[in-house]
Amino acid sequence: MMIFSLWQFCLLSLLLSYGVIELQASHHVYSNLQTTQLTSTHPQAKDPYRTGYHFQPRKNWINDPNGPLIYKGIYHLFYQYNPSSVVWGNIVWAHSTSTDLVNWIPHEAAIYPSILSDINGCWSGSVTILPGGKPAILYTGINPDKEQVQNLAFPKNLSDPFLREWVKVPQNPLMAPTQANQINASSFRDPTTAWLGPDKRWRLIIGSKRNQRGLAILYRSKDFMHWTKAKHPLYSTPKNGMWECPDFFPVSKTKLLGLDTSAIGPDVKHVLKVSLDNTRKEYYTIGTYNVSKDIYIPDDGSIESDSGLRYDYGKFYASKTFFDSAKNRRILWGWINESSSVSGDIKKGWSGLQAIPRTIVLDKSGKQLVQWPVVELEKLRTKEVKLPSTLLKGGSLHEVIGVTAAQADVDVAFEISDLKKAEVTDPSWTNAQLLCSKKGTSVKGALGPFGLLAFVSKDLKEKTAIFYRIFKSHNNNNKYVVLMCSDQSRSSLNPDNDMTTYGAFVNVDPLYEKLSLRSLIDHSIVESFGGKGKACITARVYPTLAVDGDTHLYAFNYGSESVKIAGSAWSMKTAKIN
Amino acid sequence: MMKRNSIYVAALVLVIQSVFVPISHGDANLIEQTCRQTPYHDLCVSSLKAHPLSASADVTGLALIMVDVVKAKATECANKINHLLKQRPGDQALSSCKSNYNGVLVADVPVAIEALTKGDPKFAEQGMDDTVIEAKSCEDYFSGRSPMTDLNNASQKLGAVAAAIVRLLL
Repeated sequence: MMIFSLWQFCLLSLLLSYGVIELQASHHVYSNLQTTQLTSTHPQAKDPYRTGYHFQPRKNWINDPNGPLIYKGIYHLFYQYNPSSVVWGNIVWAHSTSTDLVNWIPHEAAIYPSILSDINGCWSGSVTILPGGKPAILYTGINPDKEQVQNLAFPKNLSDPFLREWVKVPQNPLMAPTQANQINASSFRDPTTAWLGPDKRWRLIIGSKRNQRGLAILYRSKDFMHWTKAKHPLYSTPKNGMWECPDFFPVSKTKLLGLDTSAIGPDVKHVLKVSLDNTRKEYYTIGTYNVSKDIYIPDDGSIESDSGLRYDYGKFYASKTFFDSAKNRRILWGWINESSSVSGDIKKGWSGLQAIPRTIVLDKSGKQLVQWPVVELEKLRTKEVKLPSTLLKGGSLHEVIGVTAAQADVDVAFEISDLKKAEVTDPSWTNAQLLCSKKGTSVKGALGPFGLLAFVSKDLKEKTAIFYRIFKSHNNNNKYVVLMCSDQSRSSLNPDNDMTTYGAFVNVDPLYEKLSLRSLIDHSIVESFGGKGKACITARVYPTLAVDGDTHLYAFNYGSESVKIAGSAWSMKTAKIN
Repeated sequence: MMKRNSIYVAALVLVIQSVFVPISHGDANLIEQTCRQTPYHDLCVSSLKAHPLSASADVTGLALIMVDVVKAKATECANKINHLLKQRPGDQALSSCKSNYNGVLVADVPVAIEALTKGDPKFAEQGMDDTVIEAKSCEDYFSGRSPMTDLNNASQKLGAVAAAIVRLLL
């Protein structure tokens, strides 16, 4: 530990302010292990971007997660998959199972074009567990006239715990656009898990639009075979375009547990999530489900548009939740597409990942959801490197040594002792993403930027920065505004990739709580969780230098005020996935 | 006498053409409306009008036509690259460009057509956005002394126009 005398401190400050001394000067090394040569565990240069613990098939294109479920203790994930190519097309429901949500075995495709009403494609859908435990898949099929219709399939053999084969009912399609119902035939897709009302009738919603009005079309059924369209949608919003992959589910107001999709009652709120086709962003609202009128009313201030709440403020789309009845939790899956060029995808032979599954609960404020990677993921943690509580002086960079920096789990918390020096927000700062783009890591601040640098190359030419800035609110001197950014702008020397910066405001009060940051780092993806899951940002990066064993991990503080950091970093074992 | 007759006939034809506001005039409106919402209006209009089916196409149809124009330009680029590669075999920049335009022809264009005809236009938008990236990537490989500049620039513009038209469908 270096101890400065006052004189030395003044001289150093003077020299720093004249830019004479490089800010990389202080390299505090966090390691409780012998420093060993970090050799790459993966063959170099073969495919540096394939992940070690994220769900992906061996090759080709994937998109939406479909019909996640648990049956006889086994988790199932289906997903949109192209068996022939690295781009979208020839879509089938690929299928994998797991006992722990971490390691997965692949099976044959469960749903593929075989009937008139899906001959041109088997698109997304959901699973409903019927009374008695029988799963039912409802999915969108494309018929010979290229219209979007909804089809039903059941497992061929309920005693096969892997549910490998599925049989489509002869009555398909069960729901279709007609002259009578006036449904837009090219905007009618992604049926949700159905819920059972107190009147013993099933309900589900299907994404649609009329002109630019996004709709959640509501259907009801007594027997799960004959479906009648309700006169009104469950909910709709003008002007935000087609609603894809809607999801509608209850959350508990009182317990940090998931609820069965049919749950209702005074302790229950509902969440409606929509994926907006025209912006590729998802939004959710929290509100009340009026059971007798069969409509959803979002709470005041809850909106599904640019100023609304998102599960994830980075790359995350077509998400879907399911109720895990084994552990009473609601789990969220999301599709993370590539940020690389298509020629890059052709070169590597695959495209698309699934996010790490996350548990999802209502925040105690009742005003937002909170997510966290499923605890099972922690079984991959190994070789923990403890970061004891240390002061990160303004302008410092500290390498975290002893982890496989390209495949790691980092969980740290930052603490500011003196918040008085925070800069004041400007009333125009309403868009977190724009704010983060303008204030990258090279823009100095008072409190921040401080955070983690992932995928760092030896010479720091490439780096992905996930960090916080703290401001005082211009509205109220005692309130603070916390900004979380994921800055990919310097992540790679290859300019062909999308290196957009992402940002989110995090609803935490630095007066009373530390700013926690967890990042799941995995070769070409980093999923970051701020405020213990109040704000999540997922990003895709394709470094050219910071690859495998040549990747480094740092904690940094480029603000002027010091910040304390504590936590741990782990190397992550490679999971057995497909 | 004959000359005057033919003048009368010509005048009559002209009058008929301007009085009857035929379907093509209405569609010229759709082309106008559509192209105004793209970054290169004139290029958009001339590309669409050159195609015989544009007169009766809806917006999806115009998008498909534009994808076809992108494809034609990409084919032209690929052919030029192959020609140059014969003269400079093993040239790194040219080989990289070959991958860029291969991506456009075997991936972006077919996906866009599939997405537009099956009703999930966002994949077509992504594909057309990618053609702009591929064209720019090719140009960047030459670091200044590029034999493909005109073609790459044209490809970028056409890709941007196609993406903008698709966006109208979202």
